[in-house]
Amino acid sequence: MDSASIYYLGVTLFLFIVFAAIVARTYRKAHRAKGEEPKFRMMDDDQPKKHDHPET
Amino acid sequence: MNQQDGYADDIVKGFIIWSMVWGLVAVLVGVFISFQIAFPQLNFPPYLTYGRLRPIHTNAGIFGWGIGSFMAFFIYITQRLTRTSLWSPALAKAQLWLFNVVIALAAVTLAMGMNRSKEYAELEWPVASLVVVLWVIFAVNIVMTIVKRREEQMYISLWYILATLVGVAVLYLVNNASIPVSLTKSYSAYAGANDANVQWWYGHNAVAMVLTTPPLAIFYYFLPKATGVPIYSHRMGVVAFWSLIFMYLWTGAHHLLWAPVPDWVQTLAMGFSVMLIAPSWAAVFNGYFSMNGQWHQMRENYLVKFLIFGITFYGMQTLQGPSQSIRTFSAFIHFTDWVPGHVHMGTLGWVSLVLFAAIYYTVPRLYHTEVYSIPMANMHFWLVLTGQLIFSITMWIAGVQQAAMLNATNPDGSLHYSFIETMAELYPYWYMRAAGGVIYLAGLLLFLYNIYKTITVGKAQAAVQPA
Amino acid sequence: MIEKKPIIFLLLATATILVGTIITMVLPFRWINDPKLAIASVKPYTPLQLEGRDIYIREGCNNCHTQTVRPLLSDTERYGEYSKSGEFVYDQPFLWGSRRNGPDLARIGGKYPDAWHVKHMKDPRAMVPRSNMPSYAFLDRPLDTSLTEKKMKALKFPYTQADIDALKGKTELDAMVAYMQKVGNDIPWRKTGKAEVVGELKNPFQDNLSVLPEAQKLYAEHCAQCHGIELKGEVGPDLRDMDKPDAKVFATIYSGITEGGMPAFGDTLGKERTWKLVTYLKSVHRK
Repeated sequence: MDSASIYYLGVTLFLFIVFAAIVARTYRKAHRAKGEEPKFRMMDDDQPKKHDHPET
Repeated sequence: MNQQDGYADDIVKGFIIWSMVWGLVAVLVGVFISFQIAFPQLNFPPYLTYGRLRPIHTNAGIFGWGIGSFMAFFIYITQRLTRTSLWSPALAKAQLWLFNVVIALAAVTLAMGMNRSKEYAELEWPVASLVVVLWVIFAVNIVMTIVKRREEQMYISLWYILATLVGVAVLYLVNNASIPVSLTKSYSAYAGANDANVQWWYGHNAVAMVLTTPPLAIFYYFLPKATGVPIYSHRMGVVAFWSLIFMYLWTGAHHLLWAPVPDWVQTLAMGFSVMLIAPSWAAVFNGYFSMNGQWHQMRENYLVKFLIFGITFYGMQTLQGPSQSIRTFSAFIHFTDWVPGHVHMGTLGWVSLVLFAAIYYTVPRLYHTEVYSIPMANMHFWLVLTGQLIFSITMWIAGVQQAAMLNATNPDGSLHYSFIETMAELYPYWYMRAAGGVIYLAGLLLFLYNIYKTITVGKAQAAVQPA
Repeated sequence: MIEKKPIIFLLLATATILVGTIITMVLPFRWINDPKLAIASVKPYTPLQLEGRDIYIREGCNNCHTQTVRPLLSDTERYGEYSKSGEFVYDQPFLWGSRRNGPDLARIGGKYPDAWHVKHMKDPRAMVPRSNMPSYAFLDRPLDTSLTEKKMKALKFPYTQADIDALKGKTELDAMVAYMQKVGNDIPWRKTGKAEVVGELKNPFQDNLSVLPEAQKLYAEHCAQCHGIELKGEVGPDLRDMDKPDAKVFATIYSGITEGGMPAFGDTLGKERTWKLVTYLKSVHRK
C-alpha cells in the first residue's frame, strides 16, 4: 500500500467515525422523546405564540 | 376564519404570485426553444436565438420560479415553525421589489447577449451584485426571525432553510468573482481548468442548495400538513441532513469526468455522488413511511398525490444522478440528450410538483377560502406528469441512441457515423420533446387559472362578509 | 443542543459545506497550476481573436458546442487530440460547455479554410444540410472595438498598437473566424496525430459502377459544400477530370492537406467509404 491509499483509508475511517458519532448522538435513548418532539409540535402552528416558551 | 392572524402573510402572497409569473415565462421560453432545436428556422437573430434564449429559460426557471417560490415558502414556513411573525415585513416588501427587478433585468440583459457564459451564473456583474444584495436582505430577515423565535427546538425544515441561506451565499460569491471591463462586460476571475472546476463545484451545488434543500424543507413541512400525520422520523431527517450537506460539496467534478481536471478530484466526485444515494433516499423513505396507513389519501387528497409523486421523482433522480456520475456511464451519455432528460425529471418532476402542492395548500388559507376546483387540480396533475414523462423518456432514448451511434465503429476501427449523421436522427425525438413541453404548458396554464380563480373568489368572499 | 442555537447551527453548517469545498474546489488550484502542465506553444488571444471569443460568448455558442475532447476513442477519432489543461490557461471564462447539440469545437482551429466558416456562419444548412444551427449572417457587420484595449489590459494579454489598428474595417464575422481558427490549434497535433494510411493502397472498387449511387450521396453530404455539387469547385478546387492515381486521391481524402485547408475525412468515412468516393471522383469528367 502506498501513502496515498493509507491517506484515503484514514480519511474514510475518520469520516465514518464522525458519521457514527452523529448517529449515536441523534439516536441515543435519552434523546428519543426530545428528538422526535418537533414533528408533533409543528402540526399546530396556526397562530404565533404570545410568550417565549411558555411550556418549558 | 382568522386562524392565520398574526403572521406577515401578505408578502407571501406577493412572492407566490410573482414566482408563478416567472414560472410561466420559464416554461413558455422552454417550449419555444424546444421548437427551435427541432425547427431551426424559428431562430430570429440576434435576440431570439437558441444561444441567447436558453440562459433565459434556465434563469427564469431556477431563479424566477424556484427561488421566488422558495422565498415565499421560507417566509411562510419560518414564521409558523418559530411561532413568531416575520422580523421585518418592510424589508421583505423591499425584497419582493428587488427580486422582480433582478429577474426582469436578467431576462433583458441575457437577451441582449450580456452574459458571463458560466451556466446558471450567466448574469453580468451589476445584476449579479443585485442578486447578492437580495440574498443578504432575505437571509437576514429569516435568520433574525429564527433568532427571536418562540419555539425552542427547530423542526427539520428550518435546518434545510438555514443551510440554503449560507450555501447559496458561499457558492454565488465564489463563482461570480469577475474582472469587470465595463458595466456590461466582465471576465471570470479564474482561467481554464480552474474556472471549470469552480464552475461545476458551483453548478452541482446549485442543484444541492437551490433544487434540493429548499424543496426538501418545503416537503418536510407540507407533507405532514397535507396528510394530517406527523413525519415518520425527525431523527432520520437530522442524520440525513448532515450527510447531505456534507457530501454534496464533493461531487461537482462529476460534470468534468474525462475532462482535463485532476483525476483524484473526479474520483472523489464519483465516490461521493454514489454515497449521496443514502441521505437522498432517507428523505424518500421518510416520505413513504409517513404514509403508513395513509396510502388511501393518494386517492382522496390531491395534495398528497403531488407530494408523493414529487418525492418519488426525487428518489429516481438521486439514483439516476449517481449512476451518471460513474466514469464509464458518463463516457457514454455525457453531452447527449440524456442529460436534459435527467435535469427535467428533477425540475419538473421533483421541484415543481412539490411547489404546486405547497401553493395549492397555502393560497386558499392565505385568502381564507377553498381551492377553486379540485378536478381541475387533478387534471393539472395528470397533464404536467404526462408532459414531463414524455420529455424525460424521449430524451433518455435519444441520448442512448446518439451515444450508441457516436461509438459505433467500422471493422477497420474507424468511426461509422459522422457527428451530423448521429444528430440528424434526433429530430423525431425533438418533435416528441416539444409535444411533451406543450402538454406540460397546458397543465401549467390550468394550474395558473385555478389559483387565479381561488384568489378572486377568496377576495370576493372577504368583501361580502368582513371578518 | 445545536437545534436550539441557530447561530451555532449556522456556523456548523457552514463548516460542514466548507470541507468538501476546500478539498475539491480550493486544493485543485495547486494541481491544475502545476508548471509541469504548462504548454509553451499555447499563446494568449490576439485582439481580433479575443473579440471573436467574446462574440462566441455573447451569442451563447457554448449552449450547443463543447470545447473539450475527452481521451475516448469516439472523441479523439472524431475531433482530434484529447484536450490538455495547459491549453486553456488563457481561457477566462472556460468554454468547455455541457451539451453537444452541435459538434465539439476544441479542435476546430485549422480544420476548415476561413471561407468555409464564413459560408457556414451565414447559412449553416448550405454547408451541412441537416444542421439545426441558427444562421449568423447578421454578424457581417462592423466590429465594435471601443473596449478592445481595455479587454486586453484586463486579461493582461500582450498586444501592439498595430494589432489594434488592424481591427479597423473588420466585421464581427472576421473576428469569429479568427477565433475559430485559433481554438485548439496551439499545439502541433495535426501534424503528429494525422491519420496514417498503412498497407497497400489499392482501390477495391476500381471500375465498380455499382458503388456510384452510394458514393454520389457521400459526396453530396461531405464534399459538395466546398467543391460544389457538380464538382466545379468553390471553396475548394475543381475536381472534374481527376487525373491523379487512386492511391493519391485516397490519401488526400483520408488524411487531408493541412496547409491547403482540406480536412481529413478518414475518421468520419473510414477506408471503405473513402475508396467509394475515390471511385466516384474518378468517374466524373467535363462534358
